[in-house]
Amino acid sequence: MTMKRPRILVVDDEQPLRELVVVTLGEAFVCDEVGDGEAALERLSSESYDLVMLDVMMPGTSGTDVLRKMREDDELREVPVVVMSAWQSPQDVARALEAGADRFLAKPFRIDELGSMVRGLVGRSE
Amino acid sequence: MSRLSLVARVVVLATAVAIVVGIVVASSLIAILSLRHAEERESQTQEVTTATLRVENAAVNLESALHGYTLTGNQRFIGLFNQAKDAAPRSFNQLERLLPDDPAQLQQARRARTFLNQYVTDYAEPVIVIRGIDPQSARSQVAGTEERRLMAPVRTSLANILNVEQQRSTDRRAHAESVARNAIIVGSVGIVLCVALVLLFGAWVARGVAAPVRRTSAAASRVAAGDFDVRVEESGAGEVGGLVAAFNSMTRSLAHGREELLAQNALLRESEEHKRDLITMVSHEIRTPLASVIGFTSLLLEREFPREEERRYLEIIDQQARRLGGIAGDFLDVQLLEGRGLTLDRAPFDLVELTREQADLFFAHSSHSLDLDLPDAPLVVNGDRDRIAQVIGNLLSNAIKYSPASAEVHVSLHAENGGVELAVADEGIGIPEDDQVRVFEKFYRVPDAAAGIGGTGLGLSVAREIVTSHGGKIDLESQKSRGSTFRVRLPVGGAA
Repeated sequence: MTMKRPRILVVDDEQPLRELVVVTLGEAFVCDEVGDGEAALERLSSESYDLVMLDVMMPGTSGTDVLRKMREDDELREVPVVVMSAWQSPQDVARALEAGADRFLAKPFRIDELGSMVRGLVGRSE
Repeated sequence: MSRLSLVARVVVLATAVAIVVGIVVASSLIAILSLRHAEERESQTQEVTTATLRVENAAVNLESALHGYTLTGNQRFIGLFNQAKDAAPRSFNQLERLLPDDPAQLQQARRARTFLNQYVTDYAEPVIVIRGIDPQSARSQVAGTEERRLMAPVRTSLANILNVEQQRSTDRRAHAESVARNAIIVGSVGIVLCVALVLLFGAWVARGVAAPVRRTSAAASRVAAGDFDVRVEESGAGEVGGLVAAFNSMTRSLAHGREELLAQNALLRESEEHKRDLITMVSHEIRTPLASVIGFTSLLLEREFPREEERRYLEIIDQQARRLGGIAGDFLDVQLLEGRGLTLDRAPFDLVELTREQADLFFAHSSHSLDLDLPDAPLVVNGDRDRIAQVIGNLLSNAIKYSPASAEVHVSLHAENGGVELAVADEGIGIPEDDQVRVFEKFYRVPDAAAGIGGTGLGLSVAREIVTSHGGKIDLESQKSRGSTFRVRLPVGGAA
C-alpha cells in the first residue's frame, strides 16, 4: 500500500451523472455521492473529503449555496471544489468562481478532462 | 350663454349697439323737430304781436286825431282820423287771419274790433259832428266817461292777446330748452353705453376665445412633450369650444394609440424574452442528459468493463437518449399544438399495465419511494397509448423532480362513474395558489421552482392538451411546501 486514496464527494441531483463521475474517477479515489445540497452539507460536516464535485442546479439548497457555506466554514474553507454545470454562460462561470470554486467543469464534459482536473487539484492539495 | 358662437356674439353686440345708436338718433331728431316747431310758432307769435301792436296803434291814432281835432278844429286831424279809421279794419283783418285756429285769441280780437267800431260810430263820429256845431260841448266830451267805456275793453283785449302770446313764447322756449337738454343727456348716455358695450364685448370675446385658446396651447405644449393624459376644460364660445373638444378627443386617441403600442411592444418584448429564456433553457435541458450519453459512451469506448456494468451503462445511455428524445418531442408537440392540433392514434389498451410500466421506468433509478395503488383487473381505455404514456410519465417525473430525495410518491388508479381517474400525489415543494392555473400554460414555470430545477415548462401544457383531446380533464390540488396532487380523468370509451 502506497498511501491513502483521496476521498471525493460527488453532489448532483442527477443519479446517472453522479454515477458517471464516480465510474470515471475509478479505483484511484474513494467516492461518496449525495443527491442534494442539504445532504452534501450534512456529509461534509461529519466526514472529511479531499475534493467536492458540485452541481449548481439542484432543488432546495443550490450548489452555489453549498459552496458559500463551505467557504465560510473554517474546516471546509480549503477543500477544493469543482463546480459542474449545464449553465455555462460567462456570468454563470464568474458566479461560481466568485463563490469560491477552484475549477468550473461545463456539462457535457470529456472524461479525460474530468480526470486530469481532479488529479491536478487533489495532487496539489496533498 | 358662454357656449354662444363667435358669430352669435358679434350679432348680439351689433344689435345692442344699433339699438343704443337708434335711441340716440331718434331722441336727437325729436329735439330738432321740436326746436323747429318752436321756431315756427315763435315767428307766428311775432307776427301776431306785430299785428296786435298795429291795431293798438290804429286805436291810439283814432283817439289822438279825435282829441286833436276837438281841441284845435284843425282839418288836418280829420284826415288823420279817416286814415286811422281805414287802417283799423285792415289791421284787424290781418290779426284775425293770423288766429284762425285760436278761438280764444280770435274772440279777444273780435271784442276789441267790436268796441273800436262802436267807438268810431257811436262816439268819435258824433263828437266830430258836434264839434262843427258846438266846439265847447265837444271839448267837454273828449276824454270823458263814454270814451273810456269804449276804449278800455279795446286796450284790455289787445293787452290780453299780447300777454297770451308772450306767455306762449316763454313756455315754448322752456319746452325747447328741456327737449334739447334731454337730447344731450340721451346722447351722452348713448355714447357711454356704446363704449361700455364694446368693452364688455371685448371681455366676453376674451373670455370665450382667449382663455380657452391659451389653455389649449399650453396643453398642446404638454402633448408635444409626450404627456397624453392632459385634458383641457371644455368651455368657451361655440367654435372655440369645438376646437377644445377636438383637441381633447385627439389627445384621447393619441393616449389610446400609445397604450396600444406600449402593450404590443410589451407583448413583443415578453415573447422575445420567452424565446431567449427558452433557448437558454433548452440548451441546458439538453446538456444534462447529453453529459451522461457522451460520458458513458466515452467510458465504454476507452475502458474495459465487466459485461454486467457495460450493460448498465448502456441502459443509462439509452435512458438519457430517450430523455433527449422526450425533450425534442415536447418541442415538436408544442409546434403541433400551435399548428393543426393533435392527431390521436386510438386503440383499446389496459391503463393499469401502462401505469405500472411508466412507474417502473421512472422509479427504477430514483431514490424516491413509490406507493402504487392499482386495481387487480385491467382497466381498458380507448385512446392513444403513447400519448397517455407521455401524460403519466410527465406527472411522475414532475413528482420526482419537485419533491425531496427519498420522499414518497403516491400513484393511484381506479374506475369512476363511466371513466377512470389517475392520481399522482407528491410530498414536494407544492405550487403557490397564484400559479396553479398558470402551470398549464406553455413555457410557464413556477418562479421558485425554476430557480433550482431544470425544465422546459412544456410538459403540463402538452399533457393537458393530450387529456382534453381524449375528452378528459386534468386538474391539480396543491399547497405550498406540502405537495401537489394531479388528477387525470379519462372516459373509458374515449371521445369520438
